[in-house]
Amino acid sequence: MYCVKVEKVVRHNKDTATLIFDSILPSYPGQFVMLNLFGYEEIPLSLSSPRSITVKAVGETTKALVNVNPGAIVGIKGPSGNPFTPTDTKALLVAGGIGIAPLLYLHDYLIAEGANVHVLYGARTADELVCLERLKSYEVATDDGSKGFYGSVVELAELKPLRKYERIYACGPEPMLRAFHRLLKERRLLDKAEFSLERLMRCGMGVCGSCVLPEGFRVCVEGPVFNAAKLEW
Amino acid sequence: MLEVELCSLKMKNPMMLASGILGSHASSLIRISKHAGAVVAKSVGLEAREGYKNPVVINYAHGLINAVGLSSPGARAFAEKLNSFKTEGRCPLIVSVFASTPEEFASLTSFFPMADAFELNLSCPHAENAGMAVGSNPELVREIVAEVKRSTEKPVFAKLSPNVLDIVEIGKAAEEGGVDAVVAVNTVRGMSIDITSRKPKLSNISGGVSGEAIKPIALKCVWDLYKELEIPVIGVGGITTWKDVVEFILAGATAVQIGSALFYSYRMLYSLMESLRAYTRQTGESLAELVGKAHE
Repeated sequence: MYCVKVEKVVRHNKDTATLIFDSILPSYPGQFVMLNLFGYEEIPLSLSSPRSITVKAVGETTKALVNVNPGAIVGIKGPSGNPFTPTDTKALLVAGGIGIAPLLYLHDYLIAEGANVHVLYGARTADELVCLERLKSYEVATDDGSKGFYGSVVELAELKPLRKYERIYACGPEPMLRAFHRLLKERRLLDKAEFSLERLMRCGMGVCGSCVLPEGFRVCVEGPVFNAAKLEW
Repeated sequence: MLEVELCSLKMKNPMMLASGILGSHASSLIRISKHAGAVVAKSVGLEAREGYKNPVVINYAHGLINAVGLSSPGARAFAEKLNSFKTEGRCPLIVSVFASTPEEFASLTSFFPMADAFELNLSCPHAENAGMAVGSNPELVREIVAEVKRSTEKPVFAKLSPNVLDIVEIGKAAEEGGVDAVVAVNTVRGMSIDITSRKPKLSNISGGVSGEAIKPIALKCVWDLYKELEIPVIGVGGITTWKDVVEFILAGATAVQIGSALFYSYRMLYSLMESLRAYTRQTGESLAELVGKAHE
């Protein structure tokens, strides 16, 4: 473990913020860190750029993180885990809620690689959609219809010619990912897709076994990014 | 050349997965069972237990330090999870149990019909009223073993702590209680402090050190226990290379357990197995023939 300083906190809405660190963490998009907010818990968070995390307040620790003051010191283990496989062709990014975080990093990375990137991004309400200004080409979906497509992001994806994308990357709540997995399976596109998964993690280094999937993979080492075809859903 | 028999358990090689490592889910145990002589599941108690807050495991230059705090879903729920090992597991399954009293220990065995043997956690260094807290008292160890042996016909192993004045005294007490083998050793107490935040790195402040750092300590415990006890000794503590496995066997271990080394690779046991095979081919002796050879 080592420490970094939170240089800047960008508040996106009442419960989501991006914490920018004072140093770049050598990493690839899709990788995560175990972040220890001293006095709270150490939790796994996907990087939203080489020097930031984007976090939503859902529990005690994430709530404290969103409200952290610039200058705070946090402990970091990592970055670790398997990143997304990059492409320089046509890429579709599908995000649900705070699942946008690792995809923001991937978005910037793929564009730098010269890829043609399109994002489908769903949330419950318009207010929950964050960092849209960072996205080059996107469509949004909201459960309440307050912005963009009225419905889930998977329903929006159903209307799209998914086959024309060389790679598909998704991150979001598990019910959303499972629905998207079904859609990709129907269209026989599973092996083109990569999903970033979330599990309760304890050690974050592959030894404790807390985050093991029924398939036998550890989310912290073989994941968090998995080829969708490898998931027996 | 690698096969060993340990208290009626037939093992394809002497390497067992140590308790607490990747042992909370049947899926990871099944995956590791492909190359393991046996696997030991994570310690389980009667009731569900949260464990400590994260961070619970840290790594440093010579191993790991952990204070997970015996987190467990409880005996009933864990037994359900382990059921699939019966059909898909490729080696014997050992269930590790922790408790505070002899009666509580004994009541745990009936939950696990899928177990081929039991390991008594008498040595976790960072739990209140369990692990080392009960395993440092020879009288209590004798009673626990005797009570558990009355509850099951299956082999029972006692996992011992190195954090005691005389590990042989505890080992002898377990032997008198009727234990089938002793496992030496659990982690060594230790801690680490982050110099930037100036705080202990583990939420529990201190924990148990495992990995390469503790190998000489564990080896000496195995040596002493082999000399004084009649029952088999299972060696564990810092085994990372095939040479470490051979060292423990020469010191008197019938089998060994490997845990922290899986930090380096999920396929650690496979690579050790291949190396040990090459070693036995070179010497022309089976590993079973080498047990305790360094004492001669």
